[in-house]
Amino acid sequence: MCDYSRKLIAWIDRELPESEADELERHVAVCADCREQLVSFESASGAFNAYCEATFAVATRRKLPRWLPAAGVAAGIAAAAAIAAVLMWPRQHVALVPPGVPPAAEVPHTPIKQSQRQYASVRPGRSHNNQRASATEASARASHVQNISSFPAELPIQIAIPGDAMFPPGAVPPGMSFTAELTISADGSAERLGLRPRLAGFERRANQP
Amino acid sequence: MSGESVPLALPLARLATDTCEATTLYREMRKPLLRYLVCLGLTADEAQDVVQDTFVGLHQHLAAGGPQKNIGGWLFRVAHNAARDRQNSYQRRHSAPLDMEVEASMVDEATPEQAVLEKEKFRRLRNAVRLLTDAERECLLLRAGGLRYREIAEILGMATSTVGDTVERAIKKMAENCNV
Repeated sequence: MCDYSRKLIAWIDRELPESEADELERHVAVCADCREQLVSFESASGAFNAYCEATFAVATRRKLPRWLPAAGVAAGIAAAAAIAAVLMWPRQHVALVPPGVPPAAEVPHTPIKQSQRQYASVRPGRSHNNQRASATEASARASHVQNISSFPAELPIQIAIPGDAMFPPGAVPPGMSFTAELTISADGSAERLGLRPRLAGFERRANQP
Repeated sequence: MSGESVPLALPLARLATDTCEATTLYREMRKPLLRYLVCLGLTADEAQDVVQDTFVGLHQHLAAGGPQKNIGGWLFRVAHNAARDRQNSYQRRHSAPLDMEVEASMVDEATPEQAVLEKEKFRRLRNAVRLLTDAERECLLLRAGGLRYREIAEILGMATSTVGDTVERAIKKMAENCNV
């Protein structure tokens, strides 16, 4: 047993005076036994610290309040509701047209104009009848206009949201995600927002005829 | 009335300054203190109580104009003495009810083979820790909290050289008994 080995732990802890520490450092560089012991002591020290950390982690984990998972779910739902409220809030139309351009130039939107043309070609056949016919026409027109406005000029915007992002782990089955579909109307405001759950592995089967 | 409020203002201002310092210290020292107390055998609730009482004591210590040198060592010493006062809790350290939970938690964190190996390693470690004397365990715990031998000696009421010998003996025991 090397005489220096008694000072190894104090050296690890930086408790030796500088001169002794330098001497020990030079010795360790040439003494295989001391190097081996040094590794063993550092491992033992690390193992004790790991034991303390594990004990402390378990003690504090056990203290977690039981309402915490429920609070996580509530927070997820509240966040989803807040996102929906922001997206569905009616927005004022803002014309993205330079000031010099006449107002007519801001309207053109190809799919809607095509639909309006179709409607105009149907209308003359029903227009010169009685009051009831005109009332029916008015309601049909209203619903058609509604259809026109809700007709997606483009495909709805789809936002994939992983289940873990909305709910705490374990609250939804693994592989579960949600797809938010947002339809934007012609005036730029959010028209419709739908939230569809998706379970990995089941989607293709459901879409097949 | 205004004449009475003037002398009160000075100690209050001093207390406010010291409270800011105590708040910073609380953030830094809370976890090491809690870990030390839990590893001594206190429950998490008891450890929280002791830490809270310790910081109330610090506030009073600073308000009374006590020395501000080595506040970290002071906190460990007061917490250590408070833990000693809770003799019932302190005596529970050998029952180590948390050990079973630590062992159980290893199942979640590894494959079954790794879990078996980790459990075996943990059992050896636990047995090695149980073979330490109170003084050896306390020295290693305070050392793990980052304290110097001189500070440990002050907290445990022993000579600095004795702390060095105790730490050395404890580490050698650990190395022998857990075969790390």
